[in-house]
Amino acid sequence: MFKAIVIDDELYAREELIELLNETGEVDVIGSCPNAIEGLKKIHALKPDVIFLDIQMPQITGLEMLSMLDPNTMPQVVFVTAFDEYALQAFDDNAIDYLLKPVAAQRLAKTLKRLQVSALPRDYNAVTKPHLELVPCVGYNRIILIKPQNIEMAYSDQSGVNVIGHDTPARDKHLSCSLSLKVLEEKTVLIRCHRQYLINPTAIREIKLLDNSLAEIITSNGSVAPVSRRYLKELKDRFALS
Amino acid sequence: MELVFSLLQQLSVYLVIAYLLSKTLLFMPLITVSGQLSQRIACYVVFSLFCILGTYFGLSIDNAIANTRAIGAVLGGLLGGPLVGFAVGLTGGLHRYSMGGFTDLACAISTTAEGLLGGLVHRYYFRRGLVDKIFKPRCAFTVLVVAEIMQMSIILLVAKPFDQALHLVQAIALPMVIANAFGAALFISIIQDRKAIYEKYSAAFSSKALKIAHRSVGILSEGFNQQSTKKIAQIIYEETGVGAVSITDRDKILAFIGIGADHHLPGTMISSDSTRRAINHKELIYADGYEIKYQCSLHDKCKLGAVLVIPLVGGEGQVLGTIKLYEAKQKLFSSLNRSLGEGLGKLLSNQILTGRYIEQQTLLLQAELRLLQAQVNPHFLFNALNTISAVIRKDPNQARDLIQHLSQFFRRNLKNNIERVTIKEELAHITSYLEVELTRFSDRLEIDFSVDQSILNVYVPTFTLQPLVENAIKHGTSTLLENGKISITGALIQRHNNPHVKLQVIDNAGTYLKKEEQSGLGLQIVNKRLQNTFGECFGLQMSCEKGEWTTAEIIFPLVNDPINRKS
Repeated sequence: MFKAIVIDDELYAREELIELLNETGEVDVIGSCPNAIEGLKKIHALKPDVIFLDIQMPQITGLEMLSMLDPNTMPQVVFVTAFDEYALQAFDDNAIDYLLKPVAAQRLAKTLKRLQVSALPRDYNAVTKPHLELVPCVGYNRIILIKPQNIEMAYSDQSGVNVIGHDTPARDKHLSCSLSLKVLEEKTVLIRCHRQYLINPTAIREIKLLDNSLAEIITSNGSVAPVSRRYLKELKDRFALS
Repeated sequence: MELVFSLLQQLSVYLVIAYLLSKTLLFMPLITVSGQLSQRIACYVVFSLFCILGTYFGLSIDNAIANTRAIGAVLGGLLGGPLVGFAVGLTGGLHRYSMGGFTDLACAISTTAEGLLGGLVHRYYFRRGLVDKIFKPRCAFTVLVVAEIMQMSIILLVAKPFDQALHLVQAIALPMVIANAFGAALFISIIQDRKAIYEKYSAAFSSKALKIAHRSVGILSEGFNQQSTKKIAQIIYEETGVGAVSITDRDKILAFIGIGADHHLPGTMISSDSTRRAINHKELIYADGYEIKYQCSLHDKCKLGAVLVIPLVGGEGQVLGTIKLYEAKQKLFSSLNRSLGEGLGKLLSNQILTGRYIEQQTLLLQAELRLLQAQVNPHFLFNALNTISAVIRKDPNQARDLIQHLSQFFRRNLKNNIERVTIKEELAHITSYLEVELTRFSDRLEIDFSVDQSILNVYVPTFTLQPLVENAIKHGTSTLLENGKISITGALIQRHNNPHVKLQVIDNAGTYLKKEEQSGLGLQIVNKRLQNTFGECFGLQMSCEKGEWTTAEIIFPLVNDPINRKS
C-alpha cells in the first residue's frame, strides 16, 4: 500500500481523485489539502510515499512547491493537471509522470504500476526553478509569503525551521517555515554560517569574533546568529577578510 | 478726322498683336489680380512692351507723335498696381524721350503720370474689394479719357514754345482720346474673355472631378479587384468621354471599357511598355500619338491612337497599378482630360488606401473577436469536465445541470456573427459560465449579482461582461487561498444630466496590474469594442487596490448609444 497525499485547489477534483485512488485498493490516502502551503506542512508531518500534485494552484503552483522540497526526503510525485501545454512538454521530455483531468482509471492504474516497479525520477530540476521567488511561512494565525531577499536569517530548532523577516511586524518576527535549511541554502540568497543557521549576507551589520575561532553575526535588525568554526573561514573568504 | 481713322487703323494692328499674345502663357498671370511678384513682373513686361509698341505705331505730326502709348501705361497700372504702373510709364516715357521732338519731355512726364493714374485706380478698387471692376471695359475707357486730358494739359504746360504746343493739342487731342479710350476698352475685353474661358475651364474641371469623386466614393472599399475597378472605369469613361478607360494592377488588366474592349481583356497580363514604365518608374506617361507614337501592343488594327498612363501610388510610395485613358486615332486628347487624369490618379490611390484600411480594420476586429471566443481556455473546459466527473458520483442530477450550463456556454461562444446582445442575454451567458465555476470553487467563491431590471434590455457588444468575469476569477479570486468574492452590478446613473448605464465587475483579490500582459489581451479587446461602439471616452476602466479589490467598470450613455437607437 502506498501512503499518498492529494494536493489540489478544487474540492471536487480532490474528492474525485481520492475516490479513484481508493477504488484501486493499492493506495492509502492519508491526507489532502487545497494549496501548496498546507501541502508542504502535510508532507513534512505525514511523510507520504507519493503525492498527487495539481500544477495550477493559488499563490504557489505545484511546480514551485516542488522546488521547495528537499530532494533527499522528497516523496514520489505524480502531477495532475487539466491543461498545461508547456509543463506537459517538459514532463514528457524528462520522463516525469503525470495524469490528465478528468483522470481515467486505466491511466491511473498504469501510473501505480510504474510506482511499484521502479521509483520515479527524483531529479525535477528540469521543470522546477533554480531560485525561489517566495518562501511560504506560517505566522500567528496566518500564512505569509516572504521574498527570499527580505529574510534576515533562518534557523532550525526542535520546532522545525524558523525564519526572521527583514521588515515583518514584531509578532511575525519568528515565522515557522516548512522548507528545510538545505533547500533555502540552495535556492535562495541565504548562506550557511552554522549547522543550524542561514544568514542573508546583505543583512549582516557586524561579525563579532570570539574565542576558539567562533564568531557571532549581528544583523541590521539586531538579531544574533552564531558562526561555527567550519563556516567562519568561508564567511571570511567571502568578504575577503583574513 | 482723318487722324482719328489713321490712329484707329494703327490701333487695330496693335490689338491684333494683343489678341495673339493673349493666347500665350505670358497672359495667364494677367487674368487674376493676385498681387504676387510673378504677376507684377508679367504685368510690367507685357505692358512696357505695349507702351513702346504704341509709340512706334504713332503718326508723326508737327514734330510730335500722335500715339496709343497711354493704353500700355494705364492698363499696366490698372492690373499691376501703382508701382508697376509707375515703372511701365517710366519705361515707356524714357523710350519716348529718346526719340526726341519738342514734346519729348512732356510726353515722358505724362506717360509716367498715366501709369501712376492707372495704379491709383487699381489701388482704389483693390482696397474696396472691387477687383472685378478693374476688368470692366467701361472702367478702362473712363480712366483713359481722364489720362489723355491729363496728358494734353501736361503738353500745354511743359512743351515750349506754347504756340506750337497749343496747335498740336488742337490737332491731336480728340483723335487720341477716342483712339486710346476705345483701344484700352477693347484690350481689357480681350483679357476679360481669357479670364472667362479660363474660369469656365476650371469650373468644368472641378465639376467633372467632383462628379467622379462623388460617384466613386466607397467603391474601392470593396477592394482593388476586377469588380470594383470595372465600376470605377465605367464612371470615368462616362464622365470624361475619352475613347477608352483601363485600370490595371501591377501585373494585369483589371478593367477595360471603351474602344478596343474586344481585345483589351480584363485578366490578361500587361503587355504595353508605357504601362510597365509607368509602374517601374512611378511616372506619368503621355503618348499623344504625334510627338510620341502610340501603338496598341495587342492588336495592329486597334483604333486607339493616344494614351495617358497614370500610376496609382499607395502608401510607402509603392505603385499599386495604373489607370489609363485612351483616345482614338485622329482625335485630340483634350487638355482637360489630361489634367483630370492626373487628379484621378491621386483620387483613386487614396480610395484604394482607404479601402484597404477599412478592410484591415474589419478583419482585425473579426479576428480579435474570434480570438476572444477561442480564449475559452482549455483549462476551464477540462477542469469543468473533471468537476462534472466528480459530481456524477454524488449527485447525477446536479451533474446533468452542469452539463446543460456548459453546453449553453459553448453554444453561445460558437455564435460568431452576433455583434450585440442585450445585457439580459449577456447575464445569462455569464450565469452558465459561473454555474460551472461556482461548482469548481464551491468552497471558496461567492458571486453577488445586483443588476437593475431597467437596463436588462439595453444592448452591449457581445462578449462585454463575460471576459470581465472570467478575468476576475482567473487572475483574481483563483489566486486567493480562500473566500473569493465577485460582485456584478448594473445600474442607471445620471451623468451630465444624461442617463448612462454603469456596469461593474468587482473582485476581492486586487491582483490587477496595468503591465500584466497575460490578462491584458482579453480586456484590451473588450475595451476596443466598447470604444468602437460608444466612442473613445466610453471604454473599459480598470482600477485596483492591491490585495483589496479590482474593479472593471463600463459606463456608456443610454440615449446617444448608436446600437441601442437602431433597435
